[in-house]
Amino acid sequence: MAELALEDEREEELTSLQAIYPELVVDSSSPFTASLDIRVTPVEPLRLHFPHPPDIQALSHLPPLHLKITLPEGYPSEKPPFLRLTTTPPWIPSSILENLEKECSLQWEEYGHCQVLFSYISYLQEAAECGFGLAHMCSEPFPVATRWKTTLVEYNTQMQREKFNMETFDCGICLEPKKGSACYRMRRCGHVFCIACLQDFYNNCITEGDMNGVKCLSPDCGKEKASLSSVRRTKDRLVSPKELLRIPLELPMVQRYVELKRKKKLESDKSTVWCPRKWCQGAARSKKYPKVTDITRIEESDTEPEDENRGEQILEKSTTPQGSTDLDRVAICEDCGYAFCRVCFAGWHGEFVRCWPRDASEISEEEQASMNYILAHTSPCPTCSVPCQKTHGCNHMSCFQCKTHFCYLCSSWLDPGNPYQHFNDPKKSCFERLWELEEGDEGSGQVQFDGIRGAEAAAQRAAEAAMALQVQEIEAAGQATQEH
Amino acid sequence: MSAGAKKRIMREYGECINDTPPGMKINFDEQNMTEWEILLDGPEQSVYSGGHFKLKISFPTEYPFKPPVVSFKTKIYHPNVSNDDKGSMCLGMLRPEEWKPPNKVVSVLRLVHSLLIEPNPDDAIEPSIANEFKENRKEFDKTAKDWVKRYAK
Repeated sequence: MAELALEDEREEELTSLQAIYPELVVDSSSPFTASLDIRVTPVEPLRLHFPHPPDIQALSHLPPLHLKITLPEGYPSEKPPFLRLTTTPPWIPSSILENLEKECSLQWEEYGHCQVLFSYISYLQEAAECGFGLAHMCSEPFPVATRWKTTLVEYNTQMQREKFNMETFDCGICLEPKKGSACYRMRRCGHVFCIACLQDFYNNCITEGDMNGVKCLSPDCGKEKASLSSVRRTKDRLVSPKELLRIPLELPMVQRYVELKRKKKLESDKSTVWCPRKWCQGAARSKKYPKVTDITRIEESDTEPEDENRGEQILEKSTTPQGSTDLDRVAICEDCGYAFCRVCFAGWHGEFVRCWPRDASEISEEEQASMNYILAHTSPCPTCSVPCQKTHGCNHMSCFQCKTHFCYLCSSWLDPGNPYQHFNDPKKSCFERLWELEEGDEGSGQVQFDGIRGAEAAAQRAAEAAMALQVQEIEAAGQATQEH
Repeated sequence: MSAGAKKRIMREYGECINDTPPGMKINFDEQNMTEWEILLDGPEQSVYSGGHFKLKISFPTEYPFKPPVVSFKTKIYHPNVSNDDKGSMCLGMLRPEEWKPPNKVVSVLRLVHSLLIEPNPDDAIEPSIANEFKENRKEFDKTAKDWVKRYAK
């Protein structure tokens, strides 16, 4: 009879525990054995140190603590519960697990031999919340064997993803609440948008060729950083191709992004040499902008400032001997493999041939026509000389290629911080002319400016015409006097 | 215009009704939801006090990827509003390169409201008015008030 009551007590405790923790599993073969996984999600991410190679990771989700309980005969009045704590992989040192195990017997004693499991489990949960005091044991990050690193990091990522999937976010673009599983968190800044909106926006940017738009869409993004370091003020970071694929964007679209970005860099670099074959027009191979073969290999290093540094370093090396030795003249097209001379643009003639820059008369009619048009109807960007023609809006231009701010009327550089100063200075020829040609150059037809180049040419023609008129008048006057 | 964009405009309109900046009234036509008409009373603490201004907000097809276009239909003497029949505004978040899709019309309306109280002469569309605003505030105030009487009553 006493025995039965005892059994009841053990069974009763496990049943009520199961009501509190539905994930508690009672062993079907032995009714007084149960197991429970205790989640380890420390309030402050646990900093772990993996020694070989040295790496520190702060993880907020760690593999659970597995608790196996066996209630022996005589529990709780005579014997404490028997239990074992394990983790897979064994990332918690066994000495710490042993201490945690001992705590159960201590509590059992302290409570005067009564049911102790609920309070012990709560104790373990609290211990897990503060990371078992691992972070406090030594001021350094807690050392863990490197061989567990991949498992631990992957577990963390997976759990974070699962938690994220369960959350709900208000997408700032469609303004609708979306489940985390339909959203994407930007890697660098943590801003969240729904995947459909991000795809729409970035696909649109890439299709239109507006590479500079491919950055985080949050209006505050980059601004917080700007206040910290004034140097990187206007440098918003573009989204890396790898991240675009992760959102995901389709591979051909990301490929286009990478290619166009590279093409822009090539085009805004005046030292780029282009293949003379008309059907090809590829760029000559260069170390500065290596051709991209596998975009999935492009890492996060896709940041503007770093890119620029890299460019500068190589530039320093390559500018010193350029043009001096003969061998420098050979260029190889990266697209069609054609080897040619970068000076005379003929097929490669060997290093002993003297050659001269190609004559303008050799340009084809079509090229000549478009060249003429460009020379007659555009304003050049003062930095990269890309020709531009205004379609509408004010005369404060921002170069699509190199982001320089300039004046459409006179091609002057404008201060990006205060671009309108140029139009507010009574001493400048562009004073109060910000809105001239608002309908675009060649647009409404009432005023035609034809870019600064066109305007200069027109001024030249007008001067010549005036001169001719004057000459005519003088001649006429001369004749008149003769006739008299 | 995509269905998503229309939905967003509807949603924004809903938000605007509940949270219209002071002195503004929105005329919304469901048949043509991409053009909003805003009736705006000049803020009391500004030189535009007593004036009633009509504004138009047009949403481009690519909205919200591209910014809405704001124009004053009522003539106004202001450094940040173009002094022509268009009455265009082009500053801050309204600039295409600065616009971000999570920006909303209600913040555009707030921008307009705050610009009436405190014009921004350093980012002016009308340099001569900006100049006057900075150098000869009295004269500026006088003209602005005069224009309110003439055009915005």
